Amino acid sequence: MRRRKQSGPVDVTPDGMFVLNLADDERQSFNHFLDELESLLNQETDDGRLRRLFPTAYHNDALHDAEYQRLMRSELLQSRHTAIEISRRVLDSHDALSEGDLMQFMQTINSLRLVLGTMLDVSETDEAQEIINEDDPNAPQMHLYAYLGWLLECVVDALQNSLD
Amino acid sequence: MRPVEQPVIADEPDTSDIVDLDTPWIVLVWNDPINLMSYVTFVLQKLFGYSNEKATELMLDVHEKGRAVVSNGSRERAELDVYRLHDHGLWATMQQDS
Repeated sequence: MRRRKQSGPVDVTPDGMFVLNLADDERQSFNHFLDELESLLNQETDDGRLRRLFPTAYHNDALHDAEYQRLMRSELLQSRHTAIEISRRVLDSHDALSEGDLMQFMQTINSLRLVLGTMLDVSETDEAQEIINEDDPNAPQMHLYAYLGWLLECVVDALQNSLD
Repeated sequence: MRPVEQPVIADEPDTSDIVDLDTPWIVLVWNDPINLMSYVTFVLQKLFGYSNEKATELMLDVHEKGRAVVSNGSRERAELDVYRLHDHGLWATMQQDS
Protein backbone atom coordinates (compact mmCIF):
# COMPACT_ATOMS: atom_id res chain seq x y z
CA MET A 1 0.00 0.00 0.00
CA ARG A 2 1.10 3.54 -0.66
CA ARG A 3 1.40 6.44 1.74
CA ARG A 4 0.43 9.80 0.26
CA LYS A 5 0.28 13.38 1.41
CA GLN A 6 -3.15 14.94 1.56
CA SER A 7 -4.65 18.08 0.06
CA GLY A 8 -7.77 18.37 -1.89
CA PRO A 9 -10.27 19.54 -4.45
CA VAL A 10 -13.28 18.09 -2.60
CA ASP A 11 -15.22 20.27 -0.18
CA VAL A 12 -17.72 19.14 2.42
CA THR A 13 -20.77 21.40 2.71
CA PRO A 14 -22.31 22.23 6.12
CA ASP A 15 -25.27 19.95 5.32
CA GLY A 16 -23.05 16.93 4.70
CA MET A 17 -22.95 17.08 0.90
CA PHE A 18 -19.80 17.27 -1.24
CA VAL A 19 -18.57 19.65 -3.92
CA LEU A 20 -16.06 18.55 -6.53
CA ASN A 21 -13.78 21.39 -7.57
CA LEU A 22 -12.42 20.03 -10.83
CA ALA A 23 -11.73 22.24 -13.86
CA ASP A 24 -13.70 21.56 -17.03
CA ASP A 25 -10.67 20.15 -18.85
CA GLU A 26 -10.04 17.76 -15.93
CA ARG A 27 -13.65 16.60 -16.11
CA GLN A 28 -13.32 16.05 -19.88
CA SER A 29 -10.10 14.10 -19.49
CA PHE A 30 -11.66 12.00 -16.76
CA ASN A 31 -14.61 11.19 -18.98
CA HIS A 32 -12.15 9.95 -21.58
CA PHE A 33 -10.55 7.65 -18.98
CA LEU A 34 -14.02 6.33 -18.15
CA ASP A 35 -14.57 5.54 -21.85
CA GLU A 36 -11.35 3.53 -21.89
CA LEU A 37 -12.22 1.65 -18.70
CA GLU A 38 -15.68 0.85 -20.00
CA SER A 39 -14.28 -0.38 -23.29
CA LEU A 40 -11.85 -2.62 -21.41
CA LEU A 41 -14.67 -4.03 -19.28
CA ASN A 42 -16.77 -4.71 -22.39
CA GLN A 43 -14.15 -6.97 -23.93
CA GLU A 44 -15.26 -10.56 -24.38
CA THR A 45 -11.91 -12.12 -23.57
CA ASP A 46 -9.98 -12.10 -20.30
CA ASP A 47 -7.57 -9.20 -20.21
CA GLY A 48 -4.61 -9.24 -17.81
CA ARG A 49 -5.08 -5.53 -17.13
CA LEU A 50 -8.37 -6.36 -15.38
CA ARG A 51 -6.79 -8.96 -13.08
CA ARG A 52 -7.10 -6.75 -9.99
CA LEU A 53 -10.73 -5.90 -10.73
CA PHE A 54 -11.74 -9.58 -10.65
CA PRO A 55 -9.47 -11.26 -8.10
CA THR A 56 -9.64 -14.84 -6.85
CA ALA A 57 -11.82 -15.44 -3.80
CA TYR A 58 -10.70 -18.86 -2.58
CA HIS A 59 -7.09 -19.27 -1.56
CA ASN A 60 -5.61 -22.45 -3.09
CA ASP A 61 -9.05 -23.84 -3.97
CA ALA A 62 -9.58 -23.66 -7.73
CA LEU A 63 -12.87 -25.58 -7.67
CA HIS A 64 -14.64 -23.27 -5.24
CA ASP A 65 -13.09 -20.24 -6.87
CA ALA A 66 -14.47 -21.23 -10.27
CA GLU A 67 -17.91 -21.48 -8.67
CA TYR A 68 -17.49 -18.04 -7.05
CA GLN A 69 -16.39 -16.50 -10.36
CA ARG A 70 -19.34 -18.09 -12.16
CA LEU A 71 -21.80 -16.63 -9.66
CA MET A 72 -20.21 -13.29 -8.79
CA ARG A 73 -18.19 -12.06 -11.76
CA SER A 74 -21.23 -10.74 -13.61
CA GLU A 75 -22.39 -8.98 -10.41
CA LEU A 76 -18.99 -7.34 -10.07
CA LEU A 77 -19.01 -6.32 -13.72
CA GLN A 78 -22.47 -4.79 -13.43
CA SER A 79 -21.44 -2.94 -10.27
CA ARG A 80 -18.40 -1.45 -12.04
CA HIS A 81 -20.56 -0.32 -14.98
CA THR A 82 -23.00 1.31 -12.55
CA ALA A 83 -20.15 3.11 -10.78
CA ILE A 84 -18.88 4.42 -14.15
CA GLU A 85 -22.36 5.62 -15.08
CA ILE A 86 -22.74 7.49 -11.77
CA SER A 87 -19.22 8.89 -12.15
CA ARG A 88 -20.21 10.38 -15.52
CA ARG A 89 -23.14 12.13 -13.83
CA VAL A 90 -20.79 13.37 -11.08
CA LEU A 91 -18.42 14.83 -13.69
CA ASP A 92 -21.20 16.37 -15.79
CA SER A 93 -22.79 18.16 -12.85
CA HIS A 94 -21.55 21.07 -10.76
CA ASP A 95 -24.21 20.50 -8.11
CA ALA A 96 -23.48 19.23 -4.61
CA LEU A 97 -23.03 15.46 -4.46
CA SER A 98 -24.48 12.90 -2.08
CA GLU A 99 -22.17 10.62 -0.11
CA GLY A 100 -23.39 7.66 -2.19
CA ASP A 101 -22.47 9.33 -5.49
CA LEU A 102 -19.05 10.36 -4.19
CA MET A 103 -18.49 6.77 -2.99
CA GLN A 104 -19.22 5.47 -6.50
CA PHE A 105 -16.84 8.07 -7.96
CA MET A 106 -14.22 6.97 -5.42
CA GLN A 107 -14.59 3.32 -6.47
CA THR A 108 -14.20 4.27 -10.13
CA ILE A 109 -11.01 6.24 -9.43
CA ASN A 110 -9.71 3.20 -7.58
CA SER A 111 -10.65 0.89 -10.47
CA LEU A 112 -8.71 3.11 -12.86
CA ARG A 113 -5.71 3.04 -10.52
CA LEU A 114 -5.88 -0.76 -10.26
CA VAL A 115 -5.85 -1.12 -14.04
CA LEU A 116 -3.10 1.46 -14.52
CA GLY A 117 -1.04 0.09 -11.62
CA THR A 118 -1.30 -3.41 -13.12
CA MET A 119 -0.24 -2.11 -16.55
CA LEU A 120 2.74 -0.29 -15.02
CA ASP A 121 3.55 -3.28 -12.81
CA VAL A 122 3.74 -0.97 -9.80
CA SER A 123 5.65 -2.35 -6.84
CA GLU A 124 5.75 -1.37 -3.18
CA THR A 125 9.24 0.07 -3.47
CA ASP A 126 8.76 1.68 -6.86
CA GLU A 127 10.41 5.06 -6.43
CA ALA A 128 9.19 6.03 -9.88
CA GLN A 129 5.80 6.67 -8.32
CA GLU A 130 7.24 9.66 -6.48
CA ILE A 131 9.84 10.92 -8.98
CA ILE A 132 8.90 10.35 -12.61
CA ASN A 133 11.66 10.14 -15.20
CA GLU A 134 10.34 12.13 -18.15
CA ASP A 135 12.45 10.04 -20.54
CA ASP A 136 10.56 6.90 -19.50
CA PRO A 137 8.13 5.86 -22.25
CA ASN A 138 5.56 5.20 -19.49
CA ALA A 139 5.91 8.73 -18.07
CA PRO A 140 2.42 9.89 -19.22
CA GLN A 141 0.77 6.87 -17.59
CA MET A 142 2.84 7.40 -14.42
CA HIS A 143 1.67 11.02 -14.25
CA LEU A 144 -1.91 9.85 -14.62
CA TYR A 145 -1.39 7.21 -11.93
CA ALA A 146 0.01 9.85 -9.57
CA TYR A 147 -2.87 12.23 -10.37
CA LEU A 148 -5.48 9.55 -9.69
CA GLY A 149 -3.74 8.73 -6.40
CA TRP A 150 -3.87 12.36 -5.35
CA LEU A 151 -7.53 12.70 -6.34
CA LEU A 152 -8.46 9.46 -4.57
CA GLU A 153 -6.71 10.64 -1.42
CA CYS A 154 -8.73 13.87 -1.53
CA VAL A 155 -12.03 12.04 -1.96
CA VAL A 156 -11.24 9.59 0.85
CA ASP A 157 -10.21 12.48 3.09
CA ALA A 158 -13.53 14.26 2.50
CA LEU A 159 -15.56 11.09 3.09
CA GLN A 160 -13.52 10.24 6.17
CA ASN A 161 -14.18 13.70 7.62
CA SER A 162 -17.90 13.19 7.15
CA LEU A 163 -17.63 9.81 8.91
CA ASP A 164 -15.88 11.19 12.01
CA MET B 1 -31.59 -71.77 18.92
CA ARG B 2 -30.85 -68.92 16.66
CA PRO B 3 -27.37 -68.73 15.34
CA VAL B 4 -25.22 -65.96 16.75
CA GLU B 5 -25.12 -63.04 14.30
CA GLN B 6 -21.68 -62.05 13.27
CA PRO B 7 -20.98 -58.32 13.50
CA VAL B 8 -20.63 -56.64 10.13
CA ILE B 9 -17.54 -54.54 9.71
CA ALA B 10 -18.43 -51.57 7.60
CA ASP B 11 -15.94 -49.57 5.58
CA GLU B 12 -14.97 -46.23 7.09
CA PRO B 13 -16.84 -43.48 5.24
CA ASP B 14 -14.75 -41.19 3.07
CA THR B 15 -15.13 -37.76 4.66
CA SER B 16 -12.36 -36.05 2.76
CA ASP B 17 -14.73 -34.00 0.64
CA ILE B 18 -17.16 -33.04 3.39
CA VAL B 19 -16.92 -29.44 4.56
CA ASP B 20 -16.92 -29.04 8.32
CA LEU B 21 -19.92 -26.82 8.88
CA ASP B 22 -18.86 -26.00 12.43
CA THR B 23 -15.54 -24.51 11.42
CA PRO B 24 -15.95 -20.81 10.67
CA TRP B 25 -14.61 -19.15 7.57
CA ILE B 26 -12.22 -16.24 7.69
CA VAL B 27 -11.87 -13.39 5.24
CA LEU B 28 -8.36 -12.15 4.58
CA VAL B 29 -7.23 -8.89 2.97
CA TRP B 30 -3.83 -9.09 1.34
CA ASN B 31 -1.21 -6.40 0.91
CA ASP B 32 -0.84 -4.90 -2.53
CA PRO B 33 1.28 -2.04 -3.85
CA ILE B 34 -1.57 -0.12 -5.49
CA ASN B 35 -4.29 0.52 -2.93
CA LEU B 36 -3.73 3.59 -0.75
CA MET B 37 -3.48 3.06 3.00
CA SER B 38 -6.13 5.70 3.67
CA TYR B 39 -8.45 4.05 1.14
CA VAL B 40 -8.10 0.61 2.72
CA THR B 41 -8.78 2.05 6.19
CA PHE B 42 -11.86 3.89 4.96
CA VAL B 43 -13.27 0.84 3.14
CA LEU B 44 -12.85 -1.34 6.25
CA GLN B 45 -14.68 1.29 8.34
CA LYS B 46 -17.46 1.65 5.82
CA LEU B 47 -18.06 -2.04 5.07
CA PHE B 48 -17.68 -3.48 8.56
CA GLY B 49 -18.52 -0.52 10.78
CA TYR B 50 -15.10 -0.64 12.43
CA SER B 51 -13.82 2.39 14.33
CA ASN B 52 -11.02 4.36 12.72
CA GLU B 53 -8.60 2.88 15.29
CA LYS B 54 -9.64 -0.72 14.56
CA ALA B 55 -9.61 -0.21 10.78
CA THR B 56 -6.19 1.48 10.96
CA GLU B 57 -4.85 -1.41 13.04
CA LEU B 58 -6.10 -3.94 10.45
CA MET B 59 -4.75 -1.85 7.57
CA LEU B 60 -1.32 -1.72 9.24
CA ASP B 61 -1.40 -5.49 9.74
CA VAL B 62 -2.10 -5.87 6.02
CA HIS B 63 0.68 -3.43 5.15
CA GLU B 64 3.32 -4.77 7.54
CA LYS B 65 2.48 -8.47 7.88
CA GLY B 66 1.15 -9.00 4.37
CA ARG B 67 -2.42 -9.89 5.33
CA ALA B 68 -5.07 -9.55 8.03
CA VAL B 69 -8.29 -11.31 8.97
CA VAL B 70 -11.02 -8.70 8.61
CA SER B 71 -14.13 -10.81 9.25
CA ASN B 72 -15.31 -14.34 9.95
CA GLY B 73 -18.49 -16.39 10.02
CA SER B 74 -20.43 -18.79 7.85
CA ARG B 75 -19.33 -19.55 4.31
CA GLU B 76 -22.20 -17.47 2.90
CA ARG B 77 -21.29 -14.52 5.12
CA ALA B 78 -17.62 -14.78 4.14
CA GLU B 79 -18.49 -14.97 0.44
CA LEU B 80 -20.60 -11.84 0.72
CA ASP B 81 -17.81 -10.00 2.55
CA VAL B 82 -15.27 -11.07 -0.08
CA TYR B 83 -17.59 -9.83 -2.81
CA ARG B 84 -18.01 -6.45 -1.11
CA LEU B 85 -14.25 -6.11 -0.68
CA HIS B 86 -13.66 -7.06 -4.33
CA ASP B 87 -16.28 -4.53 -5.34
CA HIS B 88 -14.17 -1.89 -3.58
CA GLY B 89 -10.99 -3.12 -5.25
CA LEU B 90 -9.36 -4.80 -2.26
CA TRP B 91 -7.54 -8.08 -2.69
CA ALA B 92 -9.56 -10.41 -0.43
CA THR B 93 -9.78 -14.19 -0.15
CA MET B 94 -11.61 -16.61 2.15
CA GLN B 95 -10.72 -19.92 3.72
CA GLN B 96 -11.81 -22.16 6.56
CA ASP B 97 -10.18 -21.27 9.84
CA SER B 98 -7.55 -23.84 10.81
